[in-house]
Amino acid sequence: MSDQNRFHNWIFHSFSVSAEGLGLLRIITALFIFFFLIPGQGAAHFEYLSVMPDDFFAPPPGPLMLMDGFPSVAVFQTVQTVMMISLLAMLLGYRTKLASITAGLSILLLQGFIFSIGKVNHEILTALVPIVMAFSNWGAAFSFDSARWGEQKTESWPLTLLALFIGFMMFTAGFPKILGGWLDPTTQATQGHLFNQFFVRERQALLSEWFVSFDNVFFWELLDWATVLFEVGFLFAVWKTAWFKTFVGIAVLFHFSTMLMLNIAFVPNFLAYAVFLNWTEIYDSNLEKYRKWTGKRGVKSILKSVLLFVLILAILFAVLNRLSSMDLVLLDSDLMLHEVAIVGGGLLTVAGILVKNLLRRAEG
Amino acid sequence: MVKLIFIVVMIWLPLQYGIVGIVGYYHSEPWPAFVFPGFKSVHVFEEGFEIGQTRFEVYREDGEELISLQPQQLFSEIPLSQVPGFMRAHFHDDESIREISAEGRFWLRFQVQQAAGIEPNAMDVVQYVEYYSHHPEGAVKDSTAEVRRTSILFGER
Repeated sequence: MSDQNRFHNWIFHSFSVSAEGLGLLRIITALFIFFFLIPGQGAAHFEYLSVMPDDFFAPPPGPLMLMDGFPSVAVFQTVQTVMMISLLAMLLGYRTKLASITAGLSILLLQGFIFSIGKVNHEILTALVPIVMAFSNWGAAFSFDSARWGEQKTESWPLTLLALFIGFMMFTAGFPKILGGWLDPTTQATQGHLFNQFFVRERQALLSEWFVSFDNVFFWELLDWATVLFEVGFLFAVWKTAWFKTFVGIAVLFHFSTMLMLNIAFVPNFLAYAVFLNWTEIYDSNLEKYRKWTGKRGVKSILKSVLLFVLILAILFAVLNRLSSMDLVLLDSDLMLHEVAIVGGGLLTVAGILVKNLLRRAEG
Repeated sequence: MVKLIFIVVMIWLPLQYGIVGIVGYYHSEPWPAFVFPGFKSVHVFEEGFEIGQTRFEVYREDGEELISLQPQQLFSEIPLSQVPGFMRAHFHDDESIREISAEGRFWLRFQVQQAAGIEPNAMDVVQYVEYYSHHPEGAVKDSTAEVRRTSILFGER
C-alpha cells in the first residue's frame, strides 16, 4: 500500500460510525456539557469577574488582548445565553452543525474571559469536541434535522482528527517533563507535585494523605517515567486505532490515579475520550434490551429505546449535579462529587470493555 | 478538502506549540492553544522538596491583631486550579503589587472584608518557601524561609 493510500485509510477508515451511534453520542455530549462542563459553572462567577478591577485583567496572549478589561455582566449573560440555546439545539438536533459549532465557539469565548485573570486552564476539549464532531453529521439520527431532511451521510474522519488533537496535546504534556528533569533518577517529580497539591492547595481528599506518607523512591521514580512515556507515546498511538483506544483506556486509569493522589480530575478530557466508545454497539445493545424488556419490536421502539436511555442518563446527571453542588462530601479538597463519579465511572467502563473483549477472545 | 484540513492541522499543531513555548517564555501561555499542562517543575531541593507559597497577613484597624489568609481563602470565588496562576500574574513581585490602583486596593479590601469579616487597614503579601525532607514516616516539613514581603495600604495602619 502506498503512503498516500495509508494516509487516506488513516483519515477515513480508522474509525467506523453509524448515524444512530453518532446521534446517541451527540445527545449525551450535549447533556454532559450542560450538567458538568458549563464554563464558570453559573452566573455567580461571571458577576464576580465583571466587577473585578482592570488591575487584575491579565488576558493570555491572543484575541482576548484586544479587550481592556473584563466585560460587563450583560456580555457574559449574552454569550452564556447563546451557548445554552446552541447546546439545546445540538441536543435536539436542530440545525445541528451550526448549533454544535456555535456551542463550541461560545464555550471557547466564555473560557477566554474566565482565563483572563492570569491563568489558562487546559479545558479546550470542551469546546473542541462539539466543533470537530459537527462535521461528522452527528445530527443524522434522533434529530429534527433527520426528520426534516431524511437520511444523511455520516463521516468518521472527525474522530481521527480529534484523536490527532488529543494525541498531540498529550505529547505537549509529556515533552516539557523530559526537559524539566522528570527522568532524572535523583528527582521524584510526581512526589514533589503531590506535596505541592497537598500542602499548598490543600487537596487532601481520597488517598492523598496515604501517598504523602508513602516514601518509596523507586515507586515515585517509576511513576515519573510511566507518566512521561505514556504522555509522549500518545502521539504515536494516533496512527493505529487499536493503539489509540488502548492509550485512551490507560488515560482513564491515569486520570483515576491522579484523582486519588493529587485530587485532580480533568473531567473535560472524559468528554473527548467518550467519543471513542463504540456508540453503534451501545445503541444496538440498548435497543435489544429495550425490546427484550418491553416485548415491542416495531419501528417506534427504536426512538423509544433512545428516549428511555437518554431520560435515565439525564436524571442520573441531574441528581449527580445536584448532590455535587450541595458539598456534602469531599470537604477536604476542591474535588467535586460529580468529578469522582465521572472518573470512577470512566474506569468502570474501561474495565467493562476489557472484560468483554477478553471474554470474546476466549470464546474465539 | 478533508486531506488538506489534516495536512494543515499536522503542520499547525507543532508550529503553534513552538509559538506557545516562545510566547510563554517571554509573557504567558497563549490562548487558545492546543496544549495540555506540562507540570514541568520538579520542586526538588537538595535531598528534599521546596514548595513556594504566598499568604496575606491582614492588619486590623488597631494594628494589633493579625489574620493570615491563604490565597484560596481571600479569592474564594476563583477556582482553586486558577489561584496559583492568578497569584503569579498579580502578586509575583514588589513592583506589580505596588502598582495596584486605588480601585484595585479597594476591591482587595472588600475581598478581605468578605473573607475575614473585618475592616482591614493594611495587608502584607508574604512569599515564603517551605522545605520538606524524607523521613521514615513520610515527608516532614523542615523549615520555612520568608522570601519577600510587600505591604498594601488600605488606610492608616
